[in-house]
Amino acid sequence: MSNQSVQIGPLELKNPVIAASGTFGFAEEYANLYNVSRLGAVCTKGLTLHPREGNPPPRLWETPCGLLNSIGLQNPGIDAFLQKELPRMKSQEIVTVANVWGERPTEYVEIVERLSESAVDAVELNLSCPNVRGEMLGQRAKTAGDVVRETRRVCSKPLWVKLPPDAGSEVAWAVEEACADAVCASNTFRATAIDIETSKPVFDRVFAGLSGPAIRPIALRIVYELVNILDIPIIGIGGITTWQDAVAFIMAGATAVQVGTANFIAPWSAVRIVEGLEEFMQHRRLNNWEEIRGCVH
Amino acid sequence: MDGLAVHSAPVLTNDEVAPGVFHLVVHGSFSAKPAQFYMLRAWQLDPLLGRPMSVFERTEEQISFLYEVRGRGTELLSRLKSRDVLSLFGPLGNGWERSTGRIALIGGGCGIAPLLHTAKVFGEVDLYLGFRDRPFLVEMFAQAATQLVVTSETGDGARKGVVTDGFDPVDYEACYACGPHGMLKTLAQICNTAGVPLFVSLEERMACGIGACLGCAVKTIEGTRRVCLDGPVFRAAEMLWDV
Repeated sequence: MSNQSVQIGPLELKNPVIAASGTFGFAEEYANLYNVSRLGAVCTKGLTLHPREGNPPPRLWETPCGLLNSIGLQNPGIDAFLQKELPRMKSQEIVTVANVWGERPTEYVEIVERLSESAVDAVELNLSCPNVRGEMLGQRAKTAGDVVRETRRVCSKPLWVKLPPDAGSEVAWAVEEACADAVCASNTFRATAIDIETSKPVFDRVFAGLSGPAIRPIALRIVYELVNILDIPIIGIGGITTWQDAVAFIMAGATAVQVGTANFIAPWSAVRIVEGLEEFMQHRRLNNWEEIRGCVH
Repeated sequence: MDGLAVHSAPVLTNDEVAPGVFHLVVHGSFSAKPAQFYMLRAWQLDPLLGRPMSVFERTEEQISFLYEVRGRGTELLSRLKSRDVLSLFGPLGNGWERSTGRIALIGGGCGIAPLLHTAKVFGEVDLYLGFRDRPFLVEMFAQAATQLVVTSETGDGARKGVVTDGFDPVDYEACYACGPHGMLKTLAQICNTAGVPLFVSLEERMACGIGACLGCAVKTIEGTRRVCLDGPVFRAAEMLWDV
């Protein structure tokens, strides 16, 4: 009998497929289409201390097998999430991971304190949003380590840290040393597009985040490298669209995967990956994911 | 989102009705309120996303879409031939509700796309269609309209001008419009002055089509709204036209 469950620090997920932040809202739209509790977990849209309107249009630009986005963390704020969205998500038995973004370290602490007393199952610190003003805290080891340490102190929940793709080993070590339960690698790649008709950048903020199958081989390489240097679980993210992609990330050493842009290609993508992985396990007669995790190393 | 599903259906015809403008007819029974849309795909991962298209016409046995070739996605759609299979996800969006009394539908360019289905469902409508060059598919609209006014920016085959020239909403209980931003903004001013409600159907780049990605945001007096789920239909009076 195969067991799909995975252990991420103190949290056990029923399977390794997680909906990625920013691609799944608060699960409401997808819950109209399928039973979202079949997923291992759902990462919420990035939450901030106060509601945010996000960036002006255009916010999307398609690239070959990829998607640039500049949403700019549009979200209803932590209060509205706790009052309205979280109770609904929990009533639907969705394992809920609150993705958090702060303008400064103290904001992360303030938000995580509130989440710590809530029904969320885990917290994912977003140290890597490319679409807002200010420094990306996940790009320097010192700042990344400090934020994780300070939030860890007030966080009773499992603490995941989502890094930018160019974080590097120093940042990863700093995050591990600051007692994160898992590293999520990676956020979108900072990229840009230029409209040659107007001779201007497509996006108001010039840079945007690249996601989708276009980044998958690089994202896989990042996971492969992090597995060699970290002891904590790594959650692989980047262009995962099919169950075969998910298997490749697990073979590279990922404990779980996040499915993001694929949800836009087809809204059922994440749950189809769950089904594909079940069949793969049976076909390979695997008892659990440990049997193949990191097997390529 | 009752009845929301992905369907695969065979193409019946896909004719170029004007230079770069295609009328794609697909076999099958599909539901759609006026101004609702479907996400169309005829490819795997490149382009990555589907293309949102409002319903041009529907019967019990077929549904059709009117689109202009603007990029890779619409270019690939334009190459579809009879019996090719198209993937349709929908119906999506809120759609137009008919006001009682006399109403006008106004369309500019490919913004005429949702107006035929709307005219047929609503019944007894006055139609105003604006084209850049020579008008197309006018005979189909003529059958669905109580009164039909056609303009062309070049004056080729129709009254020269734009669709908003001399448009007077005062005789109408409500107006419904789809088209370029400038046209909708002008109409919003005209209708606002006349005190006649205007409902616009907007077009925006989209990824998911169901309200999750927040890519198709527009600014309204009540904050940011999603064209795909909160729209595509909005009251013109709630839009912030200049941002």
